[in-house]
Amino acid sequence: MGSLCSKQRHFDKPENEENGQAAEIERRIEQETKAEKHIQKLLLLGTGDSGKSTIFKQIKLLFQSGFGEAELKSYTSIVHANVYQTIKILHDGSKELAQNEAESSKYIISSANKDVGERLSEIGGRLNYPQLTKELAEEIGSLWNDPAIQETYSRGNELQVPDCAHYFMENLQRLSDANYLPTKEDVLYARVRTTGVVEIQFSPVGENKKSGEVYRLFDVGGQRNERRKWIHLFEGVTAVIFCAAISEYDQTLFEDEHKNRMMDTKELFEWVLKQPCFEKTSFMLFLNKFDLFEKKVANVPLNVCEWFKDYQPVSSGKQEVEHAYEFVKKKFEELYFQSTSPDRVDRVFKIYRTTALDQKLVKKTFKLVDETLRRRNLFEAGLL
Amino acid sequence: MAVYQSNRLRKDGALMGLDVGVGGQVLDLETAVKDGILGGGGGIGVGGGSAEKLDLKKMIEELEAVEVPSVFICPISLDPMRDPVTLCTGQTYERSNILKWFSMGHYTCPTTMQELWDDSVTPNATLQQLIHTWFATKYSAMKKRSQDVQGRAIEVLEILKKAKGQSRIEALKELRQLAAAHSTARKSLVDNGGVGSLSSLLGPFTTHAVGSEVIAILVSLDLDYSGKTNLTQPAKISLMVDMLNEGSIETRINCTRLIEMLMEGKDFVSENVSSLSLLVGLLKLVKNERHPNGVIAGLRLLKAICSHESLRASIVSIGAVSQLVELLPGFKADCIELALHILEVLSTVPEGRLALKECAKTIPNMVKLLMKVSESCTQLALAILWAVCKLAPEECGALAVEAGLAAKLLLVIQSCYNPVLKQRSAELLKLCSSNYTATNFISKCKLTTTIQ
Repeated sequence: MGSLCSKQRHFDKPENEENGQAAEIERRIEQETKAEKHIQKLLLLGTGDSGKSTIFKQIKLLFQSGFGEAELKSYTSIVHANVYQTIKILHDGSKELAQNEAESSKYIISSANKDVGERLSEIGGRLNYPQLTKELAEEIGSLWNDPAIQETYSRGNELQVPDCAHYFMENLQRLSDANYLPTKEDVLYARVRTTGVVEIQFSPVGENKKSGEVYRLFDVGGQRNERRKWIHLFEGVTAVIFCAAISEYDQTLFEDEHKNRMMDTKELFEWVLKQPCFEKTSFMLFLNKFDLFEKKVANVPLNVCEWFKDYQPVSSGKQEVEHAYEFVKKKFEELYFQSTSPDRVDRVFKIYRTTALDQKLVKKTFKLVDETLRRRNLFEAGLL
Repeated sequence: MAVYQSNRLRKDGALMGLDVGVGGQVLDLETAVKDGILGGGGGIGVGGGSAEKLDLKKMIEELEAVEVPSVFICPISLDPMRDPVTLCTGQTYERSNILKWFSMGHYTCPTTMQELWDDSVTPNATLQQLIHTWFATKYSAMKKRSQDVQGRAIEVLEILKKAKGQSRIEALKELRQLAAAHSTARKSLVDNGGVGSLSSLLGPFTTHAVGSEVIAILVSLDLDYSGKTNLTQPAKISLMVDMLNEGSIETRINCTRLIEMLMEGKDFVSENVSSLSLLVGLLKLVKNERHPNGVIAGLRLLKAICSHESLRASIVSIGAVSQLVELLPGFKADCIELALHILEVLSTVPEGRLALKECAKTIPNMVKLLMKVSESCTQLALAILWAVCKLAPEECGALAVEAGLAAKLLLVIQSCYNPVLKQRSAELLKLCSSNYTATNFISKCKLTTTIQ
């Protein structure tokens, strides 16, 4: 909202209609501005692929009317696109690895699937994708099961294989059905790079009750070129929900294949913390993709990421996962305090472990976020 | 007459404020009758001698807080009588006390001052039985109440296992009240697995409302080794740290105390309290002069954390040194000692020494504290000054002297009995004076003419 200049209010008798109308409009604007002040602004920030939009979708599902049939249907093309994109990345990736790796034979696709692979790669490179038919699904399926592709998938962190790959590949049958209507889960997994800004307004107690807080949640694109659009949103923010995918410590950026994603997240978090307009803003750090982190930690040591190079494993199994998680959490905590000047130490900072795809977890997490923000309001009003 | 009176009482059950002839004291029979003592307490019997007396002694001890009717009190010792005896004047005293009075050579009645015409003491069996019955009734009522409390505590604990949402919070609030008011409730909680149940309520998704109640209960209990170990999981400590940063002052203090209790466990690993959020939260507590309880609790926990060498650098990194130094002038004696202790421990690491040196107020504040509060404070302040001056003898030595260090050190050397302290002071004096000529230095000391 643009700033309103306050001016002397002399409500002269409405001598003519024009004056009356103008006064009415002004009154309305003033009312709305007042109402706006009660709306708490939440900003979802983070690097690309950190899970912001998934959280956004979850909030929509939890506190708004969810996805209607039309909206679900609109996701069909996105889901299919994800399938094509994934198989193309895997196919092309296997060829690249076959060329550059010493053990190239691992990555050579079997002769049965070779042509299929080439064709699918071509489809995946088009601007418009064809409908996912049963035949195509079968071909994709057999290519997915090719040992070379599976080998390539295991090195997915070096390529830009999306996190939804496994989920969609395992559901090809259902996805290619003629009457396929995406499920809620499909929608949550579907991956589209956000561009621009999306917002929803919601109230955690449900739209019927008036007593709850009203939040307005903004989702943004995380890639580097999108970040310059962020600054316009930074005014008057109640809380920043910063999403960091902790499973990406061994992956590189989509925008720059030489840059480690975790390092990018680190720098971005630092930058956001130092923004002048966030002096009094609460920070909720969502350490996301814990489910993937859990699986990865057992096989890929944390110290492949420069930021975590001083990590020492102490045990194994579940205990080790916990230990690794605590280590990562501590690193973010240290970063927070390093980047926070003494006069800002009063702002709220909390870390949450999340798996954005898990609706129950997101609901529980958001309940805590809501409680914290409400307590903060009471505290600032001097009531606590 | 006595018989007539007691008959009357038994008949009506109603009271008249009668003078029962115990000489000026009126026995409040209404209370006696209301409590059902008369006529109802016959079962106990007067016989039994010493065994009964022991019981009575125990009951009197346990019922210390209760208001005992004045007629049961010995005028000499002001304690309830166990073996009341009556003199010829009609006054009643505890046997041992009145005999002691006689043995000191007095032959008067202590309260009436009359001279005794007869030195015999008559055991007052009626009064003794009354006293015994009264105490027995009160005692069994207390025991019953306590059992009720215990029973209720266990009941609520069961409810807690299944309650959710608002009812869970209500149950916790009741448990908290019970635990706060009754030691029997606390014991019963601990004996019935309460610690484990409460501990299981703490996790990454615990709301503040639930968490703050649980912590308030736990901090009042006697935690054993397994209880403490259970609570020392990272997720639970994380929750405590969050509440320490966000809660009301009471919650903050509870969390601080609980963490301090957990640190006393023998397997405690320093990593458990290494969270920077914890340290920052504690500093905030310490700075909040509106709540002195919080200040002390925060300082105590910081002191406990300091004892782990690996954590000292972290404490310094959040600016604890300069903040503590600047808070010193405003602290009371017990806080000063704690703060000095922390600073002294921090001075043992290079980051700490550097931070102490860089804080402008370190030297002046330390000098002011020498010989001002207590010997241990002087010792600590001296150690800190030593650490700082050692780091940069010329610069800091000069600052110290400007702040009046020399006079103070001479005072220490002269008046302190502790030889170690004297030695240290002498060394420090030497270190700081190394840059001054003798005359120059003496003038800096601002000594009085006599000493000069």
